[in-house]
Amino acid sequence: TLSEKDVDALTSDLYIDLVESDVAVEVADAVVEELRKRLVGIKVPRFGDKNAVIKKAVFEALMGVIDDVPDVDFYQDSKRLLNETRPVVVMFLGPNGYGKTTTLAKLAFNLQEMGFRVVAAAADTFRAGAREQLEEHGKRVGFKVISGPYGADPASVAYDALQHAKARGYHFVLIDTAGRMHTDANLMEELRKIQRVTEPHYSIFVFDAQLGNEALEIAKYYSKYVKIDGMIATKVDAYPKGGSILTFIYVLKRPVYFLGVGQTYRDLVKFSKQEYIGQLLA
Amino acid sequence: MKALTEIFGKLLEKIRGVDYIDEATLQELSREIQRTLLKADVPLDLVKSFTENAVKRIKEEKPPAGIPPREYLIYVLYEELVKLLGGEQPAEFKPTKKPYIVLLLGVEGSGKTTTAAKLAKYLAKRGYKVGLVETDTIRPAAFDQLRQLAEKIGVPFYGERDGKDAVEIAKRGVQNFKNMDVIIVDTAGRHRNEEALLKEVRAIYDAVSPDEVVLVIDATVGKMAAAQAEAFMKYLPIHSVIITKMDSTARGGGALAAVAKTGAKVKFIGVGEDVDEFEQFSPRKFVARVLGM
Ligand SMILES: Nc1nc2c(ncn2[C@@H]2O[C@H](COP(=O)(O)OP(=O)(O)OP(=O)(O)O)[C@@H](O)[C@H]2O)c(=O)[nH]1
Ligand SMILES: Nc1nc2c(ncn2[C@@H]2O[C@H](COP(=O)(O)OP(=O)(O)OP(=O)(O)O)[C@@H](O)[C@H]2O)c(=O)[nH]1
Ligand SMILES: [K+]
Ligand SMILES: [Mg+2]
Ligand SMILES: [Mg+2]
Repeated sequence: TLSEKDVDALTSDLYIDLVESDVAVEVADAVVEELRKRLVGIKVPRFGDKNAVIKKAVFEALMGVIDDVPDVDFYQDSKRLLNETRPVVVMFLGPNGYGKTTTLAKLAFNLQEMGFRVVAAAADTFRAGAREQLEEHGKRVGFKVISGPYGADPASVAYDALQHAKARGYHFVLIDTAGRMHTDANLMEELRKIQRVTEPHYSIFVFDAQLGNEALEIAKYYSKYVKIDGMIATKVDAYPKGGSILTFIYVLKRPVYFLGVGQTYRDLVKFSKQEYIGQLLA
Repeated sequence: MKALTEIFGKLLEKIRGVDYIDEATLQELSREIQRTLLKADVPLDLVKSFTENAVKRIKEEKPPAGIPPREYLIYVLYEELVKLLGGEQPAEFKPTKKPYIVLLLGVEGSGKTTTAAKLAKYLAKRGYKVGLVETDTIRPAAFDQLRQLAEKIGVPFYGERDGKDAVEIAKRGVQNFKNMDVIIVDTAGRHRNEEALLKEVRAIYDAVSPDEVVLVIDATVGKMAAAQAEAFMKYLPIHSVIITKMDSTARGGGALAAVAKTGAKVKFIGVGEDVDEFEQFSPRKFVARVLGM
């Protein structure tokens, strides 16, 4: 069996790996503490492939740490929901530049490929070019975009899109919101308002997989202001190990629906905890 | 030293109560500092070399009279970090010829286009005639984004709405603004695993021969900041850095490591989305933030 000393050595190596892969320090502390408990007393062969057994134990222990957050198949889940209600409302939110608008367009592309009709709300009425960006995606992918002028109330643009979808029998309403830093209380309140007015079935938090320790602060603030149902990590093509993914799962206890792995519409892949933890330990 | 004592007040308070530094105290203190730096996204190898160096220096050098050893340790660390950034003196942005061509480079979403407009406004305010060029043919409506920003700040803009060839657009943009004092060329976002895009930015570099290549780094990014800088440097030189999203609570150790890698000087920071939310970089303030003060 693994002695306490073995486990100490093991977890201290693992701790360094996690922190070097951008898992937030406090989360790495907590994760390693849990791992320690799970690893003490585990049986390892005295001879033979000791390393493989340890590796497997570490993998399973780490999976165990995020056991309470299941992988959720967004397509299946939302299809089930469509049997009860229509349209299904999906809102994208998160800090500046992490990939909300692009991810929305990717999801719209995939939903349309499955035969669903999609309308998007250009509820970023703030950032230069935000409206044109979403409209251009709409043109390329072939989904309808409801926009308002720059400076318009984003909640009312989102609401208009919702009414439009109801009147015309669309399956999905995808709401794009302006990026905002968690430190800006006014903008966080505005996000809360959009959520109150449109009551999304899915509020999807979009984050950049390259985030460091700030992920922890972002998670704390965002969850204070808004409801988050699931998450999408972007730019994973730059950083498959991205420790911020573990930070967010561990802190927010919400499933990651997809990973963004490039800049084309097809670059949205289903997330699997198993594959991710494998990457993280690789 | 007085001002420094003030900056470091918070950390010093924590470690007050021990009179002289024995080996054990030094160990504990350096562990605490290491943790602080790790939380600030400073990579482990840098963390180790900084604290080891600081500990070594404090053992060799006698702290000046009246300065408690602990305080001196922090001071040494502060000095090392400031040195890494090229000293306490803020680096100036100084166009040295006409037209002075600036190329912005960075990962997707790091803030290049916004920063292009911020820098243009900063320079226009100081009497320079500035032209903005958009070469991003990948992100939908990148053209509209910079055009709208240029209009807002009253600076001329060049771009091609449905352009396909970033290199050609860059050439025509620079040609178009050849009578300006400064030409700022914005580029599409790209990262270390996008080889075709890295080659493209090299081709833009060859086509317009920029006087200054500015790497735009998102302060909220961790270890990837340095990894991306390293990948970019294989394709083109990096002369200076602008750190964005400093209105977050991110402490900036990722950006610090990237700066260390490039040897470039940081010139500005972005502190919000607005074109005026742009400040000259202060090494002192930045290091204090990295150290958690
Ligand atoms: N390589 C890569 N790039 C991505 C991915 N997702 C988004 N991007 C790029 O990241 C940049 C920013 O994406 P946006 O969708 O505009 O981000 P946003 O969150 O809507 O930004 P704001 O609305 O300004 O807050 C764009 O250049 C996208 O092409 C991804 O998975 N991989
Ligand atoms: N809070 C905050 N947001 C910023 C700052 N700088 C830029 N942004 C925002 O970050 C997002 C991305 O900025 P862009 O200028 O579009 O980034 P980019 O690097 O040009 O993106 P790509 O062209 O897609 O690679 C936008 O929402 C900006 O408003 C900053 O200093 N603080
Ligand atoms: K925005
Ligand atoms: Mg957007
Ligand atoms: Mg841009």
